[in-house]
Amino acid sequence: MKDIFLNEFKGYFRNKLFFSLGVFFFFFLSIVTYFSILQNEEQLVAQKDAHEHIRAQWDDMEASNPHSAAHYGTYAFKPLSVLNSIDDGVNSVTGNVLRLEGHRQNDIAFSESSQSLVVSKFGKLKPALVLQFIIPLLLIFLSFSSYTSERSSGRLKLLLVQGLSLRKIVFAKSITIWFIGLIFLTTTIIVQLIFVDSGLNEDVLSRLIYLLISFSTYYFILVSLTISLSVLFNNSTTSLSLIILIWVLWTIFLPTIASNTSEKLIPLPTRAEFKEAMLEDRSKGIDGHNPRGERRDALEKETLEKYNVENLSDLPINFSGILMQEDEEYGNMVWDKHFGSLYEKLELQKKSYQLSGVINPFAAVQSLSMAYSGTDMYHHLHFLKETKNYRRIFIKTLNDEYAFGGSKTGERGWKASNEFFRSVKDFSYTSPSFKSFYKKYLTDIIILLLWLFISFSLVFYSTKKAKIDV
Amino acid sequence: MFKKNIIFYEFNHFIRSKAKLYSFVFFFLACTYSIISGFNLYNKQIKTIDEVKFVEQETIDKVTNWFKGETYGPEDRSWVDVRNPYWAIRYTPTHAYKTPSPLLPLGVGQSEQYGFYHKLSIWSSTMDSDVIEEISNFERLVNGNVDFSFLILYLLPLLLIILLHNIFGLEKDLKINNLILNQIGSYNKWIINRLIFYIFLVSSFVNILLLLVGVINQSIDSDLLKLVVLVNIYIFILFVTFYYIIKLSNSSFSIAFKMITVWLIFYVIVPGAAHQYSNLRYPTNYMTDFLDANREETYAIFKKSKEELYDDLINIYPDLKSSAHAKDSVISREIVRNGMSAIANHLNINAIEKIEIHNQKKNSLVEICYWFNPLSFFQNKWNSYTSTDYMSYKQYRDDIQQLIDNRLELLVLGTWNKEVLEIESYNKYLEKLK
Repeated sequence: MKDIFLNEFKGYFRNKLFFSLGVFFFFFLSIVTYFSILQNEEQLVAQKDAHEHIRAQWDDMEASNPHSAAHYGTYAFKPLSVLNSIDDGVNSVTGNVLRLEGHRQNDIAFSESSQSLVVSKFGKLKPALVLQFIIPLLLIFLSFSSYTSERSSGRLKLLLVQGLSLRKIVFAKSITIWFIGLIFLTTTIIVQLIFVDSGLNEDVLSRLIYLLISFSTYYFILVSLTISLSVLFNNSTTSLSLIILIWVLWTIFLPTIASNTSEKLIPLPTRAEFKEAMLEDRSKGIDGHNPRGERRDALEKETLEKYNVENLSDLPINFSGILMQEDEEYGNMVWDKHFGSLYEKLELQKKSYQLSGVINPFAAVQSLSMAYSGTDMYHHLHFLKETKNYRRIFIKTLNDEYAFGGSKTGERGWKASNEFFRSVKDFSYTSPSFKSFYKKYLTDIIILLLWLFISFSLVFYSTKKAKIDV
Repeated sequence: MFKKNIIFYEFNHFIRSKAKLYSFVFFFLACTYSIISGFNLYNKQIKTIDEVKFVEQETIDKVTNWFKGETYGPEDRSWVDVRNPYWAIRYTPTHAYKTPSPLLPLGVGQSEQYGFYHKLSIWSSTMDSDVIEEISNFERLVNGNVDFSFLILYLLPLLLIILLHNIFGLEKDLKINNLILNQIGSYNKWIINRLIFYIFLVSSFVNILLLLVGVINQSIDSDLLKLVVLVNIYIFILFVTFYYIIKLSNSSFSIAFKMITVWLIFYVIVPGAAHQYSNLRYPTNYMTDFLDANREETYAIFKKSKEELYDDLINIYPDLKSSAHAKDSVISREIVRNGMSAIANHLNINAIEKIEIHNQKKNSLVEICYWFNPLSFFQNKWNSYTSTDYMSYKQYRDDIQQLIDNRLELLVLGTWNKEVLEIESYNKYLEKLK
């Protein structure tokens, strides 16, 4: 088998058309990867500038009332992962900026795709696009012609007469073509490692290795499936039509159908319904600005008892700050309930989409590609949860300063110093390590392995069933 | 030129070729499914708008009842008096709507990137989060919708590859192509007649579906007709391209390979490269101009003295010079502070204009790329006919801005002129607010 592999490989190098194609794809992938890194770094600079600009405004804030500062709020800018240059996943459709302020939990806004006309349905020309769409198609055509040309030229019979088994021939051909795919994959990874300026760490390296393994598994599935179908169908037109049809179904059609179906199975609320439900639940709590209400009265009584005083004016602290924080705590509960439910639905949709990998291995590899690049929905939801956590600390810090920072109840004009505002921790986001996230992708990994098993079985089956008169 | 027997032969071949027949049936089912999905989205948007309108009317009825009952405000907020234009407007949040085009079932376009209704208050802007996008699954947005435009623009060429790849290729594979020359006298005539069958099959199928949606939604108008023309030109270009590939190739494999390569180049690589290039030239905007206007500059307004606010408002609304309040000897803190949102709106408009200019530059670049990225041209033209492209939503944002401007102008002129609203004058306000 080793000889067939070497022979096949040499054959490809001697073939001028193939050699030119190989060189073209080598440079093409290198250029695409390089420009993706460039674009990613430019975007990172823009993101960093925006973040610093907003933080500088906060740091320069003159002495102000902490509650006014809570209304003034801050912004969280979604950072891009280093591997966003390989696959930008959901980043082009999610927003990039989130306002964090008192009383309100805002939505992330200003997505890239809402800022211009449609340019490309399949996204930017990034390595993921080449590795998911273009290289597989090249491998399919190579696999198809590799076997059918042997059959039509009569060389296949010659090889069989020499004592080689069809299974060995098919495996050797599969491995040769798979190896070509592997060369392209490795090219991408190497260019990525060479040109990325910063951010390469153990986690990123492990993600790159998993990416290489997953794509190479997918390529083997595609290659062995194509050759097996070519073996099974004596009519090359039928097998070519079938292979193209499978590619179209897997790559273009089924992902769209599966994601649409999962959204139909687990419907999301409209923004109007969602806001209405939140507003209704929120109205049952304390309104920090409304001096009435039972819950407020209870809190007032509790605070007076705690400090053992008769009137709010006798309190050594500012009751308004406590009231505002209580309002926040209630708002957080409402937020947890509604956004928690929304995120659960989104995760369920993702899980049901992952299951579609059973009939479409492309779904698994697409999901894993985004996962390794840190640009899938799980990573996005992680970012949103981190901003939520930060907002809570941020607002609590301001409310605590208002309550316990030195003012007394009724002192609406009291101001916290600029030093205090400078001391409020800035939002900083660290993407989760893949180790801590891998369980979310077990379905994809298992499905890919299952397909690998199926493809091996198919090679065995097709070579057993094939009728070749020697 | 037309050889009926060749066309009939092709029909028989098509019926007998299971791979081709099933592919076509599958495509037909997908198109039907996409149109049904499009209708679902259309109906969902209409239903949501109706629900929002219902809630809006309830709020308006509440205010109207305050006028009728002479209570002029909610029971627990004694300081509210809706006879004052400021409170009347604050208690009447209306909405701006982007009513879906009846042709939406034919193309969802960019509609999922934007909201289609927006609650308007005195602090609203066109960049509020509910103008930006509806709640959706992000990965589903990446994969796109199974909408009719996607099927026709992206999948129809792939269907054609399956249908056409062995025309003349099979004969060359079997080395019987010379027989065609003997029997027909010309390869071209033979290829064209075989292709005519598929042109007829595909274009009649697509046109019927387009017109069907027009009939169902009673929208046989110029946009639909333009769409029909666009689609037919697109189909014609596809066939011409594939004709030359068939003519210049020497086997089924070679035809299929070339067709797929053309598809990859014009549907994946070139649009992807144009997308990447436009992003390199114009990186995603973090909207800092708007954020500054919306926060830093707006908060600076709160710190202004009443004299400064007075001057700002006069600059924005010169008509205020002849208002009742302008004739007063003392500036009313309450009146000028009630107009602060109008100053903030003015700042927002300036900031948003910069963002729109940035976006427009990016769009101009996208349009320049149409010369070598024709698919984006077809996609954006299609979206414009179904009112789901960037420009349609830009128009929607302009409409929102107009409504915000109307609202604030009413507020400022009303308060400065010290108007006291009655039910009739409130109804006149409503006409301008909606």
